[in-house]
Amino acid sequence: MKPRMADGQENKRTLKDIITTQSSILVGILFLMIVIFLLFRANAFGLADWFATSGALIAFFRQLMRFSGWPLVLIAIPLIGAFLEMAFGQKRVIKRDRVVILLTFLTIVVVFLMYPAASSEGLVLKLPGIMGLGLGFRVDMLGYTVLFISVVVWFLVMVYAHEYMKLEKHCTRFFFFMALTFSAVLGTIMAGDLLTMFLFFEIMTFTSFMLVVHGQSDESYRAGHNYLIMGLIGGFLILAAMLLLYFFVGDLEFASAITKLGELGNLRYWIMALLVLGFGIKAGMAPVHFWLPRAHPVAPTPASALLSGVMIKVGAFGILRVATSYFFPDKTMITDYLDPLWLTTQTIGTAIIWFGIVTMAMGVFLALQQSHMKRMLAYHSVSQMGYIIMGVGIALYLGYRGAMGYAGALYHIINHALFKTLLFMVAGVVYYHTKEYDMYKLGGLWKKLPLTATVCLIACLGISGIPLFNGFISKSILHHGIIEAFEYGHPSFRLAEILFMIVSIGTACSFIKFFYYVFIRRTDNPYPRLKREYTTLDAAMAMLGLFIIFVGVAPRFLLGNFIIPALNQTAYDPYFIDHYIVSLRFFTWEDLGNAGIVVSGGFALFFLGTRFHWFHLKLPKWLSLEYVFFYPGYVFMKQMCRLMYGDKCPIDQEEMRTLSVDDENVSFTDRFTVALKVFNRRYERSIIQSDALIYTGLITALLLYMFVFGRF
Amino acid sequence: MIDQLPIINMIMFLVLALAIPFLRKVSFRLTLILGFVVLGLVTVSSVFILTDVMASGPILYRLGGHERLIGIELEVDLIAALISLFILGLALVIYIYSTGDATEGIEEREYARYYILFFILMFSLFGMVYANDLFNNYVFMEIMSITTCSIISIKRKKDTYTSAFRYVMLNEIGSLSFLFGVALLYMATGFTNITLLQQALSTLWPAYSANVIIALGFMLVGLGIKAAIFPFHIWLPDAHASAPSTSSAILSGIVIKIYLFVMIKVLFKVFGLRILDDLNISAALIAIGSLGMIFGSLFAIAQKDIKRLLGYSSIAQVGYIVLGIGLFSELGLAASVFHIFSHGMMKSALFLSVGIVVFQTKRRKIADFAGLGQQLPLSMGVFGIAALAMIGLPLTSGFISKLTLGVAALDHNQGYLIVIVILSSLLGVIYYLPILVSAFLKRIPEDAARPHLEKVPRPMIAAIVILALAIIVFGVFPNWILDIIEQAVATLGLPA
Repeated sequence: MKPRMADGQENKRTLKDIITTQSSILVGILFLMIVIFLLFRANAFGLADWFATSGALIAFFRQLMRFSGWPLVLIAIPLIGAFLEMAFGQKRVIKRDRVVILLTFLTIVVVFLMYPAASSEGLVLKLPGIMGLGLGFRVDMLGYTVLFISVVVWFLVMVYAHEYMKLEKHCTRFFFFMALTFSAVLGTIMAGDLLTMFLFFEIMTFTSFMLVVHGQSDESYRAGHNYLIMGLIGGFLILAAMLLLYFFVGDLEFASAITKLGELGNLRYWIMALLVLGFGIKAGMAPVHFWLPRAHPVAPTPASALLSGVMIKVGAFGILRVATSYFFPDKTMITDYLDPLWLTTQTIGTAIIWFGIVTMAMGVFLALQQSHMKRMLAYHSVSQMGYIIMGVGIALYLGYRGAMGYAGALYHIINHALFKTLLFMVAGVVYYHTKEYDMYKLGGLWKKLPLTATVCLIACLGISGIPLFNGFISKSILHHGIIEAFEYGHPSFRLAEILFMIVSIGTACSFIKFFYYVFIRRTDNPYPRLKREYTTLDAAMAMLGLFIIFVGVAPRFLLGNFIIPALNQTAYDPYFIDHYIVSLRFFTWEDLGNAGIVVSGGFALFFLGTRFHWFHLKLPKWLSLEYVFFYPGYVFMKQMCRLMYGDKCPIDQEEMRTLSVDDENVSFTDRFTVALKVFNRRYERSIIQSDALIYTGLITALLLYMFVFGRF
Repeated sequence: MIDQLPIINMIMFLVLALAIPFLRKVSFRLTLILGFVVLGLVTVSSVFILTDVMASGPILYRLGGHERLIGIELEVDLIAALISLFILGLALVIYIYSTGDATEGIEEREYARYYILFFILMFSLFGMVYANDLFNNYVFMEIMSITTCSIISIKRKKDTYTSAFRYVMLNEIGSLSFLFGVALLYMATGFTNITLLQQALSTLWPAYSANVIIALGFMLVGLGIKAAIFPFHIWLPDAHASAPSTSSAILSGIVIKIYLFVMIKVLFKVFGLRILDDLNISAALIAIGSLGMIFGSLFAIAQKDIKRLLGYSSIAQVGYIVLGIGLFSELGLAASVFHIFSHGMMKSALFLSVGIVVFQTKRRKIADFAGLGQQLPLSMGVFGIAALAMIGLPLTSGFISKLTLGVAALDHNQGYLIVIVILSSLLGVIYYLPILVSAFLKRIPEDAARPHLEKVPRPMIAAIVILALAIIVFGVFPNWILDIIEQAVATLGLPA
């Protein structure tokens, strides 16, 4: 397959030059903006004081920052972009891509402007009457943190996509739905009540479905179908929870509802279970994760980077959001961790911690077995989401003292967005140059692609939790969190802590393997057609690499500017935050020691694994999901069929045959549809033909019912 | 003057229907224009009626000034005024569509006949909405059965005759059951006028309990057949499959809804809550509604013909409405009435857009829909919006229906009904989504060369676009209509 040039060979040069330079400059400006932001926050050169006091123009600017319509503006920007992109279309590729990149950059600017409002009292906007109950937006620091990382990552991926999408067809359609998805993601994050969140969440499911099936191959249809059905099931679960909340609480706004929920008995756990499962499906949580490793790899790389980097976070963010608003007491009401209001979150938290642990263990185990780079990364997304979900669980379980878990989860959301996006980008670049996803067929690429190899190394060090890289920071916080869970809480979390370490070792091993097979290992393949030139791919990846190191070296930047303000807006113990989080020290001997264990364990596992072929385990057939569910289903259908048709049972004929074949590709819904046809073929006609019987039968039944059960 | 408007509305339809045969000689165009004028006039007068009823209570009109006992009485209360406007709105859109092409499969000389039937149907619909007398209701029901049957069989094909015959037989059984029920009530009370009946029944109920019970049973089953409530849905899929698309839209969007409205009238205005509660009808209706929601969708999943699929989906949606009625609360009834509106729009949009597809490609098997989205972006786009609304996606009217129904179910302490609503939506996902995916994403099969696409007349496009917009407007700003509905439902004296 040759890369498809948009406008032929000659145009390609000019095309590359213009946008590559421009977007590189933009990436540079982004870096500058972050530096200025940093200076502002640190009040270097008295910048912040100057800004607070001087000038009419600056006063106007200050007013602008308080503008409550920013959420709508932010949602509108990608929407406008989507239609502009459609208008430019395939014919004016340069303009289209410039719109994509510039408008995404504009969202970053807007997000920066929102910081003062978000960090003080939060940005609130209400649109009453729409969709019956009214929509609402609220950007507080939790939302703002996720928003910030999302727009930054999205922008870099768009810069990357400009070059990468030259490989793919129907780029305009891709960018169109990408922009719609972006708009929906922003809406979900900024939502101020569950209805608004649900609205954007559903839109996101649909638009991102279009990204998953972009390749239009059979594989992507199957994966997309799975993705959509699972996403909609998640949506319906949230809808059910929303109905219950609306009815019993009377308000869907994200605010404390625990006093009312406390009166509901076990129903409150049902509500939370519906929400956790609903958002958990999108987050790739353990029992409902199976769509993820199928859907993420089949999408074009920019889409898989964003699916893994941003969109699954929205699921975790959803859990964190609903749990810490509805199920937490009001900040002003609570002074003690022994308050009975915390009992609900404690129970919920225990369950979520274990969900998280199972997710992370399962993800890493399956990731070790993969040879397809993107599929391996997708399984790692599942595993890393396990970390985040575990953090959310700790945040709930420890109640008033759960700030450590909250901080860890939020920090890991940021970090995972950075390194997983970068890793997907690396896999994409490797594919871009070699047209190969199988890591066992690659090797020795570091000579050909030195920059890619460097950033890949950075990302691998990040995800494995090596000191001086970002993963180390959030994993240390999460590790502190789980230790607190068994110190303050139940001793069984000791086991969780051990599993946490094992999973970290597995992750390290997996990335040693990844880096070794793709970049280091000697091969005979000299990659003759591989040409290296500076493109937007490199600009985006280099920037992400810089961010990873920056966060790893200066962990306090994110902690002080985003996470601690978010903690302070939540009902956590201010004393705990001041004494344990603000003064948290990262590079202690204990944490460094843990990192050492993880690295050496990773290497040991890697050598043992390659020697004893542990990376090619095949699970026994009866353990696979298909077998557990579908075989009993098949047997049941066979019996039913015998019962309905007697000897003329059509179960092994025509389309019904798909029920019996142990074909992994026949999904659950397909099987359900086919099974229904068996039933339908038998009964539809016979119901239609027995009209008189039904009439007399039903009228008799109705009369009998009234005579027997009526009171008269 | 405003009292006279209801009867004037009905007379206008009737006169137009009778005039069309004479107009045929002049020009067919004139018929179309006149029809449009009449529909417009009736709409204006219905709006007047609605505002008047909202301001100063129900309009009562007695034909010929006879007294209640023997005369024909029309009563327009707020619900009736709302429903009549809903009928008009949909009828206008369908009329606009049919001026583009009445007609898929109808011979050209039959066009006039189609419009005669259409206006007689409108006449009988309005009669049923306005009549405050059970026997008059029966009379209009019979008129409607016969006109509907003719509309179904207007295409001269063998299978349309079979399904029309099945339709007319079952509907006769339904009408006769209803009549039997009316007769039993008349035997007990001596009245057929709804207002009088209600007063009489509340005192006579313990004494004539057997009469009342049997009457209620027969009337419910009779109306159930006509409204295609689940086990009586038998006639519906066949009738839909063979009728022209406009007729399917009228049938699914309007006709079965009117029977549901009559059912509301019979239940709450004739029998009243006390009798219904004593007989525990609520549980029976909830059970029937839930069964319909699930089984209608299950049957729909296995269909190969798109119109049969839509027919079964209607059966499932009627289940929602019956469920809402069965809750016996203001919230439940409001949810039902809202769903009558929203389903009317969604199903008409679906049938009419499928109608365009059939018109252009002459195909109606679901398997043939692959790649259609790229060929017919507009009609498949409307189909997509309506299908997503059926699934209940936010921003569409279908979502508001589900929301209100869910809240009503919780209000009635029947939380498990939420499970059924959601299960039914999920089944909806299973049968609507593959159509959308294959239409918009699958490539056009290369081996099957597409026939030449016919050009679509503008009115057809306009009609479906109006419907799609209405679905979204009702989904984004539902409050104004919900407020009127709640006000209307409050007049029936149900528990809040």
